[in-house]
Amino acid sequence: MCSDPVDIETLKRAAGTKGGLLTDEVRRKVWPKLLNINVYKLPHKPGRAVRKNHKDYNQVVLDVSRSMKRFPKGMPAADRGALQEQLIDIILEVLKCNPQLHYYQGYHDVTVSLLLVVGERMAIAMLDKLSNYHLRDFMDPTMDSTKHILNYLMPILEQVDSELHDFMIRAEVGTIFALSWLITWFGHVLSDFKHTLRLYDFFLSSHPLMPIYLAATIVLHREKEVKQAECDMAMVHHLLSRIPQDLPYELLICQAQDLFDQYPPSLLAKQAALQSHKRMVKMAVWGLSATLGAAAFAVAQTAMDWGPEVLLQLF
Amino acid sequence: MAESGSSGRFSSSLTGSTLPPPRTRIFKIIVIGDSGVGKTCLTYRFCAGKFPEKTEATIGVDFRERLVEIDGEKIKIQLWDTAGQERFRKSMVQHYYRNVHAVVFVYDVTNAASFRSLPAWIEECKQHALGTEVPRILVGNKCDLQDSIQVSTDTAQQFADTHSMPLFETSAKNPNRNSDHVEAIFMTVAHKLKSQKPLVLSQPTTCGCF
Ligand SMILES: Nc1nc2c(ncn2[C@@H]2O[C@H](COP(=O)(O)OP(=O)(O)O)[C@@H](O)[C@H]2O)c(=O)[nH]1
Ligand SMILES: [Mg+2]
Repeated sequence: MCSDPVDIETLKRAAGTKGGLLTDEVRRKVWPKLLNINVYKLPHKPGRAVRKNHKDYNQVVLDVSRSMKRFPKGMPAADRGALQEQLIDIILEVLKCNPQLHYYQGYHDVTVSLLLVVGERMAIAMLDKLSNYHLRDFMDPTMDSTKHILNYLMPILEQVDSELHDFMIRAEVGTIFALSWLITWFGHVLSDFKHTLRLYDFFLSSHPLMPIYLAATIVLHREKEVKQAECDMAMVHHLLSRIPQDLPYELLICQAQDLFDQYPPSLLAKQAALQSHKRMVKMAVWGLSATLGAAAFAVAQTAMDWGPEVLLQLF
Repeated sequence: MAESGSSGRFSSSLTGSTLPPPRTRIFKIIVIGDSGVGKTCLTYRFCAGKFPEKTEATIGVDFRERLVEIDGEKIKIQLWDTAGQERFRKSMVQHYYRNVHAVVFVYDVTNAASFRSLPAWIEECKQHALGTEVPRILVGNKCDLQDSIQVSTDTAQQFADTHSMPLFETSAKNPNRNSDHVEAIFMTVAHKLKSQKPLVLSQPTTCGCF
């Protein structure tokens, strides 16, 4: 990994295989490379000014101050406090440099995972990259694109286990149970930080839609439990949104990769589009979406290949 | 999202058995208001009986429930705790406004902005067909912070009157020193709902999920 130029493909494979990148020391070296960050030209620590007159300041402070659970248990309160201050600065700095991006609750969960591994300046660089790529769709003025990405979940389930899929449709459970999984890369819901890091290895080296495939494997993994639950929105939402803490992550990561290879986003785009509201579909189909985020882009591209019978369903 | 399927659910629960199973009625209550006013703490307090040591930002919707007994009838109170950040409401939370029986609006008595947001929240509910015909209540939270009060009881009461809602001031953190207990507030809503009939939603008691 010290060789220059680095072999990104090898790093990606390592991040995706059993155990991932194993230690934080390795992560500190590999994560920036996965995002193609120039480690010799890191952003400076933000000054005081970054906190002035930012529209999201209050929300960010509120969310960061409620993020105690994200820090290691034994950490002294003073150290944690200092990191929380950095967290606020990092978030506001990236938002300030990217006025087209909008803060969402959960963005702080991603940021804290980066900060705890790579430190403040590198976290700014990584967050900036991620915000313009993997997280881009979540940072639109509205969550319409995010909702659209969630629409990929049910079609994946349908491919693998139509009975489970039908059960969930009957329950009208929706997909919001997976919202925080998607937009925080599971950082918001996992209590053991080492699991979060393992998933970050995987997601940093994967397609932006990979968290949805992992979400699908988790639901599929719990298929029996789900089918035994009462077929009711509240019950199924409740069951699924409480994620078991002892999931077999290595297995699920392999399965997510397999699902991705077997049912790539381009294949699912059509079903996903048909799940959403018509307006959204039209936007995606006609390429009017404000972003060229992964999902919208896939839909716009795929729409060219759709037959008239599909297109007619949109209206 | 999942638009289809409701007919399936109802028909399946109507067929199959000759004896109607005993039913626990469910009261579905949605709790809304600005981020940070204490929605998660209030719902947690009611369902778990204590103030949570650490809350986190609510992403999307969270769900808590508690079984209570009112006049000898067991009733399940479902509290839907929603994200306060505006962006989540527009496209995300909609789905969960369906079949809601009552609405609890929360503001923070130490935060005037959260009080000023109330008309927007009320409007939002109206758009989801939750107007004056469903029971709605107004809760001013964080009353334990007596020294930093920004919204006076008078102002809040006036507002509540204008919108025909009862007002409760309380504290999720330390309700005992105040007149209104969190418990009593949600139970008031439950009583109100119980006195209204008929109620739309019900389900077999043989749930055993919790
Ligand atoms: N002093 C005081 N603090 C409270 C009370 N209720 C909530 N809080 C605090 O206010 C913050 C936001 O609470 P939370 O329930 O997460 O707000 P939500 O965003 O509306 O769900 C947290 O730090 C809580 O500890 C209260 O009654 N009194
Ligand atoms: Mg909350």
